[in-house]
Amino acid sequence: MIEVTDIYKRFGEVEALAGVSFSAANGRATALLGPNGAGKTTLMRTLVGLVSRDRGAVSIDGIDPAADPLEARRSIGLLTDQFGLYERLSTREYLRYFGQINGMSKAAIARRTDEVTALLGLDDILDRPCKGFSQGQRIKVALARTLLHRPRNLLLDEPTRGLDVMSTRALRRALAALRAEGCCIILATHVMQEVTGLCDDVIVIAKGRTVAQGAPDELCRQTGIASLEDAFVHLVGTDEGIAA
Amino acid sequence: MKHKKPMLWLVVMNKELLEALREKRTLTMLLMLTLLYPALVGLFLHTMIERGTRTEKAGIELVVIGGAQAPNLLAQLREKSVNVRERGPMADADIKALLSEKKVVGVLRLGSEFGAYYAAARPAPIELWFDSSLEKGEQRLELEAILRTYANGIAGARLAAHGVSPVVLSPLRLERYDTGDAAAGAGKRVSLFLGMFFMPVALFGLSMAIDSTAGERERRSLEVLMAQPMRARDLVTGKWLAASALAALGLTLELIVAHGVLSLLPLEEINLTWRVSLPMLALVIAAALPLCLLVGAAQVAMALNSKTFKEAQASAGILLTLPMLPLIVIPMLDLSTQPWMYAVPVLANQTMFQSIAAGQALGAEAYLLTCMLPLLLAGVAVAFAARRMKSEQYVMGI
Repeated sequence: MIEVTDIYKRFGEVEALAGVSFSAANGRATALLGPNGAGKTTLMRTLVGLVSRDRGAVSIDGIDPAADPLEARRSIGLLTDQFGLYERLSTREYLRYFGQINGMSKAAIARRTDEVTALLGLDDILDRPCKGFSQGQRIKVALARTLLHRPRNLLLDEPTRGLDVMSTRALRRALAALRAEGCCIILATHVMQEVTGLCDDVIVIAKGRTVAQGAPDELCRQTGIASLEDAFVHLVGTDEGIAA
Repeated sequence: MKHKKPMLWLVVMNKELLEALREKRTLTMLLMLTLLYPALVGLFLHTMIERGTRTEKAGIELVVIGGAQAPNLLAQLREKSVNVRERGPMADADIKALLSEKKVVGVLRLGSEFGAYYAAARPAPIELWFDSSLEKGEQRLELEAILRTYANGIAGARLAAHGVSPVVLSPLRLERYDTGDAAAGAGKRVSLFLGMFFMPVALFGLSMAIDSTAGERERRSLEVLMAQPMRARDLVTGKWLAASALAALGLTLELIVAHGVLSLLPLEEINLTWRVSLPMLALVIAAALPLCLLVGAAQVAMALNSKTFKEAQASAGILLTLPMLPLIVIPMLDLSTQPWMYAVPVLANQTMFQSIAAGQALGAEAYLLTCMLPLLLAGVAVAFAARRMKSEQYVMGI
């Protein structure tokens, strides 16, 4: 459960966040939509306590990441636009490293490694060094790392980019299963198909503020536009996302 | 939690070491430096020993032209263990060519009128050709001294024939007393080499320190790491200790190799001593561990601020010259060993090594001083790096 109430963040002259509010419930997948530069990265960094907010409130399962970043991070699985693999470590060693950092026992790491391997189909690359992995393999390994410690909250930044159709489907099934288990999933994406197919809620942010929140069809109703993509462009207010 | 939580800095350190030891570049560098410095010092000392003992063994090589005119002179030269080779007349260019072969100390050419002038008691023309760029200056001076003694002998005989005592030729009776301590002088020379062994400390772990900080930032894996439930302090500490561990490993191997090399060389031939036992060596290495910690900390703190591997490499150049400064500047001041030297990193290790090599016992305060400042500075550097990593400015830059 992630609750964000009216947060602001300014870097010098730039207002990165200027009033973002939303709530992402457990057992639901929430899409985070916004053009490039809308403040998604800053928002994610604020949620894991890497960046402090100027004002407003954040609660990750009741924990304020500004006050206790380590505790907040323990319940978060974060997949950013960078995978952060190590070329000279194998997938198994990579997962072990992050499992240890998350305080998991040896046995738990071994068990969860088997589970995420089955979930994401990593068998053929489990004991290969990450050097030379394809884009799809990279993102799968990074996802496995994100899921390894069974976080209750998932922050995923474009998790399907670079994946082929089969892997995308496998990932969607995996996310659906996690949602059914009660995970709170926030999914930043630009793929509207993913939003309609997977997400229960949509948050639209632009220029650092929340412009809309609700179910996909609700947004379409609100704007009176049938297609979600057109509704999104309408909500954002300009064509800047396309022009940029 | 059911299980005991591992210390996170240890997890980070293990991972960094595992990665570094899998990289060929790091390993090759480690191995090369480990062997290179002892080999260089060994070679240098070996050459010094060779040169120092060659004169006694081989004597002075001299070519004489027109020697038939002065058989007595040649006899005296031979008596003083000069290897005289007689040659027929030679042109100036030929003499130059002969000298450029660097085999003879000089060429002594007696003028064609030598015999006549000598008989007439006029200064007999004799030329000494030599190459001052050769390192045979001492042998040449010895040769000139022999000539001078020979000339004085003849002058004395001529004066005596005229009824004058040869003593008038010696208004002074000079006696020389050398108070120079051969061991101390040699100690100063060897200390320079011992200092050299500490220079690669800054190189052993460098590429790893840079790769695990600036490199990780460049490859954008640092952001993922920083979003984990781990304090910046643990992350920095792990990387710091990994870099320091490589430095310590390299230094240990290098000093063991150096010990082997120096034990094998006949150092007493050039008045040097190597009275280091293995426990002593272990002590020197242990006393150098704080230096390794300092080097690792400084490298991590420096590389942390660089955005790319390349950028960090450029700044590392400055860091690399730092340990050389005390080794270059202090000997220039020509100071004797003083307690404050143990407070200067690198210089302290060098001074300590030198004293131990000379067989001197060291007090506890020397060890304490050697360890104190590097540890203090390392702590400051790590604290700075951890603070920096936590700062928002840094997070936004990754």
